[in-house]
Amino acid sequence: MKRFLIPAAALLLSAAATSALAAAGTVLRDDKLYSQPSAAAAVAGSATKGASVNILAKQGGWLRVSTGKSSGWIRLLSVRAGAGGLGGAGLGDVVGAATTKSDPTRVVAVAGLRGLNNEDLKQAQFNADELARLDAWGVTAAQAKSFAAQSGLAAVSVPALAAPGSSPKSKPAQEPSPWESN
Amino acid sequence: MKLKWIAVGVALAALSSAASGFDLGKLLEERVNQELNKNKKTPPASTASPATPSAAAPSPAKQKVDINQLGFALFGDYSPEQENRIGKQIAGNLLGAVPLVRDDALQRYVNQVGNWVALQSGSKGVTWRFGVLDTEDINAFAAPGGYVFVTKGLYRLLNNEAELAGVLGHEIAHVTQKHHLKVLKQSSLIGALGQVASSKAKSSDQVVQNLIGNGAEIMARGLDKDAEFEADRVGMVYAARAGYTPWGLPDVLQDLAGLPAKDSRTSLLTQTHPHPADRLATLGEAVGGQLDAVQGKELADRFYRIK
Repeated sequence: MKRFLIPAAALLLSAAATSALAAAGTVLRDDKLYSQPSAAAAVAGSATKGASVNILAKQGGWLRVSTGKSSGWIRLLSVRAGAGGLGGAGLGDVVGAATTKSDPTRVVAVAGLRGLNNEDLKQAQFNADELARLDAWGVTAAQAKSFAAQSGLAAVSVPALAAPGSSPKSKPAQEPSPWESN
Repeated sequence: MKLKWIAVGVALAALSSAASGFDLGKLLEERVNQELNKNKKTPPASTASPATPSAAAPSPAKQKVDINQLGFALFGDYSPEQENRIGKQIAGNLLGAVPLVRDDALQRYVNQVGNWVALQSGSKGVTWRFGVLDTEDINAFAAPGGYVFVTKGLYRLLNNEAELAGVLGHEIAHVTQKHHLKVLKQSSLIGALGQVASSKAKSSDQVVQNLIGNGAEIMARGLDKDAEFEADRVGMVYAARAGYTPWGLPDVLQDLAGLPAKDSRTSLLTQTHPHPADRLATLGEAVGGQLDAVQGKELADRFYRIK
């Protein structure tokens, strides 16, 4: 059995950066569809904000989607995965679990557990032992650099991103917890 | 703006009792005006008068407040030492609610990735500490002075080192942009906080703890959504500067967007962060095509997987 698993895994890896998906998504802004995952490629169509799409594949900063009318590559940040619509203003995310890469059975397994909450955090007592443990796991800058070099990571010059223009276009008022109202 | 006025009221109230006998009223008033004039609108002179009452002001009778410290705490910057004192207290409290995962290899790995990403921030004099918290809750936290935590639940969602770098980059950005300190500065107790945090006395740790709120309350309160959007932009760039693909953080946000809304593991995250779809959309507005040419590594092979 193990013998079969190894070549299968190797095959998956060799399929390279493109991973196949079949997930629901919603278009977050009007954007173009390209025939290849590149803004230099031919335009294959367009997608309208709010439209539902099927996410077919992913590669770097691009998703291959099908709108029903057409299909092509769209920028990763122009689409959200999941069935919750545009987000804060969207409808329920009821089938969301089935649309992620993460194992849906895991969601079921922990659904009954209570997560961290405000009370846990407010009641928390300072724990010096855990803090000492944290310190003990710390690494130096030199160690981090050597760790990076082991995998060929090198510092790259990337300019900072400016905040999106503070244009006066009216945005809908946000509730304190928009996700809750999904 | 309102918060600022409350702070001014507090400052003045503290001043009137603790500093009587000195001519500090004038000094603070000047400092307050100087600060307020930085804003677009010049306020009417009368609003800075020491006579301004403030219902929000706590009784400062028992606190000795040094006026320089107070003014500094309200308007100035903390030293890296002060930041670390504050952050250490918050981190220690958080660890009182959730312990660290007992996995040396995991914790060491996260510290190596985290420190490498943090090096790209250019911040000096920060001792960075990264930890994975032993809870299935999906979240990540930062505290001033270089403390960064990611929960085991969030870690399990990650698929490669670039995604980890993106998540850590977001938290590192909260530290470098001093988002939590800004929240603390808006609290009415900040003046005294600045004073005790600068004190060398060990006993003041207790006072720092009292002043930052109960336990790790600040983590439950969260930051405003603009701070979260900024941390997304800055964190994504830190990860890219570290040689990772910039798309790690967006990939994690996509996975979060795909989780069911009622997943109990994300209840605190949903209370303290904008919806992942809003974060993706806002990040998309800032990024556009600017990162198209940036290549980077995913490092799925090296990614440490929790047993």
